[in-house]
Amino acid sequence: MSAVPHPANPHSLLPPGSTFTTSDWQLLARQWHPVANASEITGAPSKATLLDEALVVYRVKGEVVVARDVCPHRGVPLSMGSHDEEGVVCPYHGLRFGAGGRCNRIPSSPNQAIPAKLSLATYPVVERYGLVWVCLAPDADSPAPLPVMPHWDDAGFQQINCPAFDINGFAGRQVEGFLDVAHFAWIHTDTFADPDNQLVPDYTTVETEHGFRADYISSVSNYSEGFRHLAPADFAWLRRFETHLPFTASLTIHFPGEQRLVILNCASPVSARKTRLFVPIARNFNLEQPVEEVHAFNLRIFEEDRAMVELQRPERLPLDMALEAHIPADRSSIAYRRGLKKMGFGEFFLV
Amino acid sequence: MAMETLEVVIDAMSRQGAGNVAVELMRADGAALPAFEAGAHVDVHLPGGLIRQYSIASPPADRSRYVLCVRREPASRGGSASVHERLRVGQALTISTPRNLFALRPGGHHVLVAGGIGITPLLAMGHQLLAAGSSFELHYYVRSRQEIAFLRQLQGELGERVHLHSAEEGRDARQVLPGALDGAGNDHQLYLCGPAAFMDHITAAAQARGWDAARIHSEAFAPVVPVPSADAAAQDAAFEVQLASSGQVYRVPADRTIAQVLGEAGVPLSLSCEMGICGACLTDVVEGMPDHRDSVQSETEKAGNRQITVCCSRSRSPRLTLAL
Repeated sequence: MSAVPHPANPHSLLPPGSTFTTSDWQLLARQWHPVANASEITGAPSKATLLDEALVVYRVKGEVVVARDVCPHRGVPLSMGSHDEEGVVCPYHGLRFGAGGRCNRIPSSPNQAIPAKLSLATYPVVERYGLVWVCLAPDADSPAPLPVMPHWDDAGFQQINCPAFDINGFAGRQVEGFLDVAHFAWIHTDTFADPDNQLVPDYTTVETEHGFRADYISSVSNYSEGFRHLAPADFAWLRRFETHLPFTASLTIHFPGEQRLVILNCASPVSARKTRLFVPIARNFNLEQPVEEVHAFNLRIFEEDRAMVELQRPERLPLDMALEAHIPADRSSIAYRRGLKKMGFGEFFLV
Repeated sequence: MAMETLEVVIDAMSRQGAGNVAVELMRADGAALPAFEAGAHVDVHLPGGLIRQYSIASPPADRSRYVLCVRREPASRGGSASVHERLRVGQALTISTPRNLFALRPGGHHVLVAGGIGITPLLAMGHQLLAAGSSFELHYYVRSRQEIAFLRQLQGELGERVHLHSAEEGRDARQVLPGALDGAGNDHQLYLCGPAAFMDHITAAAQARGWDAARIHSEAFAPVVPVPSADAAAQDAAFEVQLASSGQVYRVPADRTIAQVLGEAGVPLSLSCEMGICGACLTDVVEGMPDHRDSVQSETEKAGNRQITVCCSRSRSPRLTLAL
């Protein structure tokens, strides 16, 4: 990793006002994080924040550019600007930035050659699973891989991207909530869970290259109330969780027959206290249901979870296992915390 | 603990008495395998991702192969079933290099006592002692004669030093103890391998006959239970825990945990789940062999024996020294 000081923060590698410690920020900056739904990125500059770094995101000639949201000329946020076919235009002096973040127009001296210094500070970008993924500080020696989402590209599967969902809480707490199987009967009773089905059958976790996998088999139906008769009586519901540390996890729900629903939970760390949740979904059934209904149903589930995650204290995730109490249903949460600890995260999860 | 691995192939498999299968591992090119001392085991990476430790039964002098022997356990957690159902001759396997936590010690006479499939490391010990011209005897307790593994070797080269005891014939360890436990010299060594209750019984009998714990060596092969159950507790033995900082020694009775004993003694511990699932109480092991009862450490971590969950795990060695 380069040790170049942050341009706006010469005494540190981190963005000004970073809510992370240096070592945690560096570890997180090596990873890919989503910053936008790809379909929402057009020519117009759009604003995003990742790890306290303000970003501008735009598309020019089909290619997505992600850069620090600062005009290299006089420091105005480009996300406030306008755009044309050739790029985004700074609202202050009209400088225009196109492919690769390079300046291609200086309106006040149109005949002057454009200096190299007039280029945006861009970051590596990948479009995958309908999301724009960014890596702020790639590790050249061991580049981080993108998370894998089962079935997204498989024939017969519909691809859905839920609108981004903001949470006033730490990404680690949100991911742990996604992996939690004991809260269904308490929080999700208005959407899919049965308040009387509280028992969590024992399950185990298996370490994988980038996290762990947990196959959770229970009688908790994933059909919403009114549709539970669609599953045979005594149907054993398999939910396969696969984490990609630090903040991505997929859940593949095995519905009756070959019907599958895959939910990729991508918690993007805006800061240590804010999270933007991106959720690509793939399914091979119920394809005639309007996508808006899928969005609305999942929004209700996210709201149910948010109510808890925003209230948890400490806000961050205690990686010292002695700081909170653990029950058998927590095997995934324990594996998650152990995994993060192994990756080297420390201070900022402790508070 | 990062362990070196080896690629081997299964050269032969054979039935070794009812319910047992021997697996002979060689390098594909026939080259010599790493040397080992009797009592060593290897980690075998089984199909399906399980890693299990099995003792090497073959003579250490034979570097061409490692022979393992695995009993079909009805309550298998996957390892024994995987060996019996999924391995076949010619198959490639990854194993670790041999590790020894159960080595022979210098002594004037060696008493080897096996219960059931616990014969595997003791058979290798018998071969090594025979080759060295050392004085030894091997007692092998089985439920019935049909279950005897490696019968030909036991009746052949090791012959006159082998004592077979069949429970079916009224010769279980509660009825018949090895005579060598009585009147043993101070340089005699006792090696035990078998079910925990079996080893506890022999250990208690030996200690009652004046054997010093330092001369009793054991290796358990019983599967580690994820959470202590009433059944497991019934088979637990007492052991000692020593604090590395002060040297203070505490006795942990069969029905109490390390955490309970140390907690009462005022030793500060970091506890959370108290059932071996969270790892809050993981404590470094300085000396001794933990009997892992937790389900938070991975198989590799458990095999490394560097840490123990003091809330539920126990000891395979008479004493465990912890970094407390």
